[in-house]
Amino acid sequence: MKNIMPSSLVSYRTSQRLNSFLLYLLFAIISLIVLFPVLINIFTAFKTGPELMKNSPLALPDAWQFTNIKTAFKMGNMLVGFKNTAILVIVSVLLNTVLGSMTAYTLNRFQFGAKKIIMAMFTVAMVIPFYTTEVSRFQIIKSLGLYDSMSAPLLIYAGTDLLQIFIYLQFIEKISNQLDESAMIDGASYFKIFFRIIFPLLIPASATLAIIKAVDIMNDMYIPYLYMPSKELHTLSTALMTFVGQRASDYGLLSAAILIVLLPTIIIYLLLQKFIFSGITEGAIKG
Amino acid sequence: MRYTVQKRLVIFSFLCIPVGLLVLFLLYPTVKLFQFSFTNWNGISESFEYTGLKNYITAFQTPEVWTALGNNFLYFILHVIFIPLEVMVAVFLNNKIKGSNFFRSIVFMPYILNGVAVAYIFSYMYNPINGPLNALLGDMNLEFLIRNWLSDSSVVNYSLVAVSLWRFSGFHVILFLAGLQSVPADLYEAATIDGASAFQKFRYITAPGISRVIEIVLFLNVRGALQVFDIPFLMTQGGPGTASTTFTVYTIQTAFKYNNYGLASTLAVILMTIIIVFSMLQSKLFKGRDE
Repeated sequence: MKNIMPSSLVSYRTSQRLNSFLLYLLFAIISLIVLFPVLINIFTAFKTGPELMKNSPLALPDAWQFTNIKTAFKMGNMLVGFKNTAILVIVSVLLNTVLGSMTAYTLNRFQFGAKKIIMAMFTVAMVIPFYTTEVSRFQIIKSLGLYDSMSAPLLIYAGTDLLQIFIYLQFIEKISNQLDESAMIDGASYFKIFFRIIFPLLIPASATLAIIKAVDIMNDMYIPYLYMPSKELHTLSTALMTFVGQRASDYGLLSAAILIVLLPTIIIYLLLQKFIFSGITEGAIKG
Repeated sequence: MRYTVQKRLVIFSFLCIPVGLLVLFLLYPTVKLFQFSFTNWNGISESFEYTGLKNYITAFQTPEVWTALGNNFLYFILHVIFIPLEVMVAVFLNNKIKGSNFFRSIVFMPYILNGVAVAYIFSYMYNPINGPLNALLGDMNLEFLIRNWLSDSSVVNYSLVAVSLWRFSGFHVILFLAGLQSVPADLYEAATIDGASAFQKFRYITAPGISRVIEIVLFLNVRGALQVFDIPFLMTQGGPGTASTTFTVYTIQTAFKYNNYGLASTLAVILMTIIIVFSMLQSKLFKGRDE
């Protein structure tokens, strides 16, 4: 029986095996490059001051001790950071979802004069460099009396953008017009049609977009840094910035603060990967 | 209520807030930016004077502006060099091997991590005294490579670009992977039956299949590289001296540190122009090739 297998097939199998070995090797190296800085940071967070001086920074901690984490959490104002970040994320994502889907619904279902102009405005906005408009946006926020308050970032984050509208438009396109029409025969108003029929059907699209937006807001440092300097208004990002600025030499403590800030994103990522991937690829490939 | 009346009401009420926010926080500031760019405003006083093109002339004569643009170019070019590697990794990930989903998650992870945390992780990695990177080089008997990664002006930009590559390459890999997965599998089967080599399959099936994603990645790269801000701002404040200043860092410092809003607005307008010109060139280039 053994001799029946042709030799070319045997060599094909060996080369397949070699290929998959090289493939795993490559992915192991990539994983190492990705994980190395994060792992070192985790090790450092659990080390004592003397240990950091004495041992190699690459070594595992002698004993995993939580004092750095506790101290960093308290001194770094992290609880306030968590609270403010959570408020910003939840409120702006909710507003953003409603506004984005309303815009897309109106643009898809109705014909009206200003439609082209509105689309053009959203398109223009996409080319504007984000960081540099801040030079003049800062003045507008100030003159509206929104400086150093939660409302400034909330309003900025709540605004919808072209990419979101595009994704919503694609989903609305697939919702049959007959649904609208039959609801109209029953005497439903456009408002009712949107909130009772269209909006619920857009929930999958909204979930994907909301998660992307939430990660963006959670990780943003620039807008809170510029518009909410007060200590009570710190987010996770700005709390970490202040903390690092104040104690630039205690690496155990710094790494602990970094770890605290990383944790929420890592947890969300592990739980909601599927949505994050589909949102990113849909946004980029189709938009 | 009649549907024609309702229609007007819906259009107005549904669009007034989103369009209002867009105008108030994006379009109006942009118009203001153009206005400020012709003034000597310091951002604080009530009054300012129009100075014509003076800011534009100053901007082009400031050496730091050119240094900054050069640094932005370094981010751009090194990310471009990485594109073939990213495509390669995506092609490998597209093989249905055990654990490819797991590797996909790992590869993409840096992109979603908090940018401030990432910047500080790498500040520690690059620490000259007992820092992990130098310790690693020491353990591998590569002592001659040990550097002051963030305070040596000849390497600082490469150190920072490395962080940017670490953070964004995985994102590009995932985009390429999405492009690859949209190529129908039977094309490959047909090519195999026709006796196409692996290279021919890549050249005639894979490459055209992902050309749109390459276009997107290049577009994101131009925009991203021209706007690099948080990595140098958090890790070096543009230093040592102005060695790692990028255009955006310099603009923000001009505005908020040196209170020169006029010049900062000019810089912002210049950046906007560069981005628009590059985007247009790029779409021309890709359109030209498709036809």
